Amino acid sequence: MPLAFIRVYEKETSFLVDAYEKIFRGVPEIVLMLLFFFGLGPYLRFPFGNAFFVAAFVLGLRSGANQSQIYRGAIQGVGNEQMIAGMSVCLSKWRSIWHIMIPQVFTFSTPGLGSEYALLIKDSAYVYVIGALAEVMTRAIQIRTSPPYDAVTPFILAALIYIVLTFPIAFWLDKWGNKRKKKIGL
Amino acid sequence: MTDFVMEARHVYKAYGIKNAKKAEKTGAGVDVKHVVEAVKDVSLQIRKGDIKLIFGPSGSGKSTFLRCLAMLEIPDKGEIYLGNECLTKPGVDLNKARARIGFVFQHIYLFRHLTALGNVELALRQVLKLPKEEARKRALDALSEVKVTDCASKYPAQMSGGQAQRIGIARALARNPDIILLDEPTSALDPELTGEVIDTLRDLAKEGTTMLIVSHEMPFAREVAEEMIFYDEGRVVETGPPSQFFNAPNTDRAKQFMTRIINRTTRE
Repeated sequence: MPLAFIRVYEKETSFLVDAYEKIFRGVPEIVLMLLFFFGLGPYLRFPFGNAFFVAAFVLGLRSGANQSQIYRGAIQGVGNEQMIAGMSVCLSKWRSIWHIMIPQVFTFSTPGLGSEYALLIKDSAYVYVIGALAEVMTRAIQIRTSPPYDAVTPFILAALIYIVLTFPIAFWLDKWGNKRKKKIGL
Repeated sequence: MTDFVMEARHVYKAYGIKNAKKAEKTGAGVDVKHVVEAVKDVSLQIRKGDIKLIFGPSGSGKSTFLRCLAMLEIPDKGEIYLGNECLTKPGVDLNKARARIGFVFQHIYLFRHLTALGNVELALRQVLKLPKEEARKRALDALSEVKVTDCASKYPAQMSGGQAQRIGIARALARNPDIILLDEPTSALDPELTGEVIDTLRDLAKEGTTMLIVSHEMPFAREVAEEMIFYDEGRVVETGPPSQFFNAPNTDRAKQFMTRIINRTTRE
């Protein structure tokens, strides 16, 4: 969220945020993970040799870039008038952001945040490319080729686990946002 | 030492200047059409207890001028004084200065996520750093002054436009500012709601609140304004007491405009 506010309200530094967002939103996670683990990892050394760290690092930054976009849309949706009103009651820029913009921006961005959260959880599946590529592939083939020759059930189960992980939070966020919007009459 | 609450000296504000300067640098030639001069060399003095009314055609820069006075827009040239303090000098703590200026918007701009009480309280708590009970008391006082205490726990979207605008006025009042600037406080409301807001303003006028109002409510102007300022194309065209404008304006432009306004009012 701070990035989004920089992008909107700090003209001088917004190009840095813009560049960061373009890179992390434009490059596939797999490429980023391979780059940071196998490509840059040996040069960057600790903790980039650790697959878990690299995965969290890449997914975190990617999600940050997406969230910044979501919040930016919401900030523009709330509108600059609210900032000016804040200034008119003599709140400073950052105080206006804290007391006036953030509570409204968060309410506006719940649907986007819910879907971003689901994306993040799902994309964690890509982590195998730097973690246990060989392991995952061998297991998958094993499941198919050894008795009881049932490849459907294990993968359906895996899919269900993802749904259980993603659904409740997205659902709850949406519900909370709608309730809040209704309360303040938007 | 001046005895003015607020004074503007030769204020100038234009939009699109940056682009024009950029174009000049790159030799692309300045496209004059893109520079809009909203305020051209306007000066104004307001004494304590004054009620002045600015009127003039839409798009003539009245709102921009008012926003410049509150330093919500920074003027390109000229000076603005609040008492003895020059607000346009670099390095002035504008947030502190704005605490002494109340501002009421045409489109109200209440904070939508806060109740009426919250709207009024916010600045008292955050800027004046009042303790919770005192802020609440002062906010309630301000609400009762504009007679909307019954809306205290409602959110802006649950109120009528008139109620919302009166809360906008309460929000500006609560800090006991030296002056209140009102930018067409009634023009977004229907005639019935306009009445509510005008009544509130009339009460404030009786209490001697210093106000600068942009408005086209002529009967109201006649009743409370000490001075009317006719503003057109970024300039003050004519200044004088209401009687002058209602009987015989000095300039043709003001005459023309007054005729039109009075015709419209009688037709309604």
